[in-house]
This record gives sequence, C-alpha cells and structure tokens, in this order.
Amino acid sequence: MSGAVPEITRRIDEAKQKMGRVMQIAAFSLAEVSYAVGGDIGYQIQESAKQARFRVRAKQDNVSGVLLPHFESYTEEGINDFGLTGLGKGGQQVQRSRETYARAVETLVELASLQTAFVILDEVIKVVNRRVNAIEHVIIPRTENTIKYIMSELDEVDREEFYRLKKVSNKKQRDIAAADAEMEARRAAAQEKEGQKALEPEKEAPDAPDVLGEQEDADVIF
Amino acid sequence: MEGLFFNVNSGYVEGIVRGYRNSLLTGQHYNNLTQCETIDDVKLQLAPAYGDFLAALPPNPSTSALAGKMTDKLVAEFRYVLTQATGSTARFLEYLTYGYMIDNIALLITGTLHERDTRELLERCHPLGWFETLPVLCVATNIEELYNSVLIETPLAGYFKGSLSHQDLDELNIEIVRNTLYKNYLEDFYQFVNTHPDFKGTPTQEVMSELLEFEADRRAINITLNSFGTELSKQERRKLYPEFGKLYPEGSLMLSRADDLESVSLAVSISADYKAFFDAVGLTQGAGFGGGADGKSLEDMFYQKEMEMSKVVFTRQFTPAVVYAWMRLKEQEIRNVTWIAECIAQHQKERIGNFISVF
Repeated sequence: MSGAVPEITRRIDEAKQKMGRVMQIAAFSLAEVSYAVGGDIGYQIQESAKQARFRVRAKQDNVSGVLLPHFESYTEEGINDFGLTGLGKGGQQVQRSRETYARAVETLVELASLQTAFVILDEVIKVVNRRVNAIEHVIIPRTENTIKYIMSELDEVDREEFYRLKKVSNKKQRDIAAADAEMEARRAAAQEKEGQKALEPEKEAPDAPDVLGEQEDADVIF
Repeated sequence: MEGLFFNVNSGYVEGIVRGYRNSLLTGQHYNNLTQCETIDDVKLQLAPAYGDFLAALPPNPSTSALAGKMTDKLVAEFRYVLTQATGSTARFLEYLTYGYMIDNIALLITGTLHERDTRELLERCHPLGWFETLPVLCVATNIEELYNSVLIETPLAGYFKGSLSHQDLDELNIEIVRNTLYKNYLEDFYQFVNTHPDFKGTPTQEVMSELLEFEADRRAINITLNSFGTELSKQERRKLYPEFGKLYPEGSLMLSRADDLESVSLAVSISADYKAFFDAVGLTQGAGFGGGADGKSLEDMFYQKEMEMSKVVFTRQFTPAVVYAWMRLKEQEIRNVTWIAECIAQHQKERIGNFISVF
C-alpha cells in the first residue's frame, strides 16, 4: 500500500499540471466565443442545457484491502442540448469551446479520482500507523509484563517444588538411616542371642509369640 | 436631390456620428494596446477615447466589466443620436434597435419557458434593445399569455405574426425562434430602406441594401454551417434564410440542400467575395473549419468584410446609414478590445493580433 502513495502523488502532480494547461486553453476558447458571438451567451446555454452530456461513473478498486473509488468519465453522444446555440454567428466557436471544456472536465474527473484515492489511502495509512503504534507501545509491553510475571511465578513454583523434593529426600534418607540402624541393632541383638543359645543349647524353640496368649499385640501405628 | 433637404432634419445627427467615427480606435491605438502588460495599461490606453466611462472601473477590472463599460458608452451615444433624430431618420434608428430587442425577447422567452424569475433577466438585457413594454414581459407566466398580451404590443409583433404562433414558442428551440425573428427583421428592414419615400433612390437605399444583403448572406451561410450535425432539418433550415441578398434565390436553394462544407462553398461561389473567403480559409479541407494558414476563421473574414463595408459607408453623405456603420464599427471595436484584454489577462499573447482594425 505504501508503494501506491508515491505513485498516486506523482500522478496527481501530472494531472494538476495538465489541468492547468487545459483550463488555460479552455478559458481562451471561451474568450474566442465571446469575441465571435459578441455578447454573453452564458445564460442562454445554462437554460437550454437539460441533460448532462458528460457523465461520470464511479467504480471501486481494491488496493490491498482498501476500497478506492475510481471515477470514469464518458460522453453521452446522443445528447446535444445547445447544438443550435450561436446558429446565427459563433456556432463553431461555441462547439469548439464545448469540446475544450469537456476535455478540461475530463482532466478534473481524473484528478478527482486520484485525489479521493489519495485522501482515503492517507486516512488508511494513518489508521494503520496508529494501530502499529498502539501495538508497539501499549499491547506489546503489557503482554511482555504478563509474560514476565508468569515466568516469575513459574520460577517460584519450581523453586518450591525443588525445595520440597529436597526436603522429602532428606527425610527419606533420615528414615532409611534410622531403619538401617534398627536393623543393625536387631541383627546385633540376634547374634547376641545366638551366642547365648550356643551357650545354653537346650533352649526351647525360640519364643514364638503365643498369638492366642494373654499378651496383647502392640498397636500398629501408621 | 437628396442633399437638398437632408440636412434640414438629419444634418446634425449625421454630423455627430461623423464626429463619433473620428474617436474610433485606429491601428496605432491597437498597436499600443497590444503592447500592454496588464488590464490597467489597457484602461490607460483607452482613456482618451472612453474617458469618464472607464473611470468607475476598479483597478485591474475583468474583461467583461471593461466590455460592459465600453458598451455603456456606445449606448449613451446612440441614445443621444436617437433623441436628436426626427422623422424617417428616427424610424431608421429605431430599426437598428430591433436586432437587440430580438435578443432580449429571446432571453426573456427562455426565462419564461424555464419559469425563472424574469426580473433578474431584465438586468441581462441589452440596453439598446430596451423598449417600454419589455418589463411587462416579466408579468407573463406562460407562453400563450406572453404571446397574446405582451408580444402583440411590442414593435416586434409583426415579426412573430405569420411565422410563429404561440404553439411554436413552446416547442421550438429558442435559437430557431430567434433566427426566424431575425430573418423577418432583416427582410422588413430591407423593405423599409428600399420602399420608404424618404430613402428610395437615395444613398441610404444603395448603402443599406448592400449592407443588409451582406448581413443576410452571412446569416444564411452561418446557419448552414452551424446546423451540420444538429437536429435542424433542411426544411426548417431553409425557413431561416432571409429572402434577399446576393445569394437569394439560387444560392439559398443550394445552401438549403447542402450537406457538407463543399456544397456550401459551391453554393456561395455565385458571389466572388464569399468564394474568396472560402478559398482563403480552406474550408474544403474538411476539418479546417477553425482557421486557415493565418489563423483567420470564416467568421473573422465576414467581420473583416463587414468592417470594410462600414468604413466605406462614411464616404457617402446625406444618409443615416452612417449611424448603422458607426454602430457596427463600434461593436467590433468593443470586441477587439475585449479580445486584446482577454489575451493579456490570460497571457496568450501569441494570438493577440487576431482582431480586426480597418482605420
């Protein structure tokens, strides 16, 4: 789209210069009319013109998503409202002047469609620029802040998790160490008992606990 | 004979007009005008000839304002002459104003047809075509009323009679009405100078017949040329040709049948003068309508011829025809000055010499 703007400005420049030339010729042809007719025929022409001979059609062009109106001029050849003006004198000049002015209006129409396109594109570019600025300066920083916050939160959670794991593994190690020590102690006690049995061998089968006996089971603590 | 009593009634008028003729711009004046850089300079150059009339203009006036003031002077001078004239001379002078009246009436009819406020049209009317009942035209709201109650009272009623009825006014293009009126006017004027006892057999008859014949021929040729490519039919076109002049009747008949430029130039070849014009602008080249080698169009040629004829009129004496000639010359002068001013205002100096000066 930004490629279209310099192109349009160049064409506007060309059209404006052309308009200057054409309008000058047209104004001069009007002078010729007033010389030939020798009076003011403006009113008469205004009154006798009923239908537009020179017409403009509007189309829409799509330039990268922007709808640009485009004016097209055409002449309705059948309409010749003041063809008889200046019948007595000056008719040729009147017709010539009309043709010159038709060309001038053609240039104006061309210029009009270029200028409209330019204005619309300008507006669109401004809107886009505003959006770009808004995104760049408001939305992006805001999102970045959010991202930062989320990252820090996540880090926090990570750290907590790590700490927890460390704690758990410490505890586990301690438990294992305690269990080991107990086993060791038990084994040592068993060995001691073995030693004693060897000393007094006729010891009845080790005291298998009398499940049905009177003594109670120790409470199982989970 | 005519010299014997002419001056008793009209000598003063003729003298005055001869005085006016001397104040017309000469080639030297035009030379000075073309050297001007601004409209103010033009105004300055015109000061000796136009004096007070241009004094009221603002600095650097528009060309139309300039032309308006120059026309004012023409009008003032003509009115003075008109008030001094008596008898047949006065009638003759009144005839001169009828042409302008036709333009004014055409303007008002156009306005009425489109239901405009006709009052504002009155300002646009040519002051020379002003007559007492002209404002009454504004009262009429429709064409029938306009015709029955107003136009009947005007000096032009005779020109409407017989060739135009109120139905025509509705349908016909105003240009056709105007040209029909003008044709009737020219014929009537021609009749007048040829039959009026005061003018018959005098230089007036001779001079005016020549001028009016030329005018009639010019109109016929112009109407023919300008009607090509329009909806004007050949029968209608023929009705617009004045029925006198050098081309009438053979030339007119041929003109009425003409389809293109070549047949027109064939039709006018009856008269050596017109043939020379056509040859000069090279109309046979088809598109070469606009102008020949020296940038002169057919209209320019006609104007040139008219001016030369008008100039020659001043060699005659004892005739009010000098007033006619003076008015034509003056109008051409106004056109010339307007053209020069226009060229200066628009910086188009290369065609500034395209005016017609005969003195």
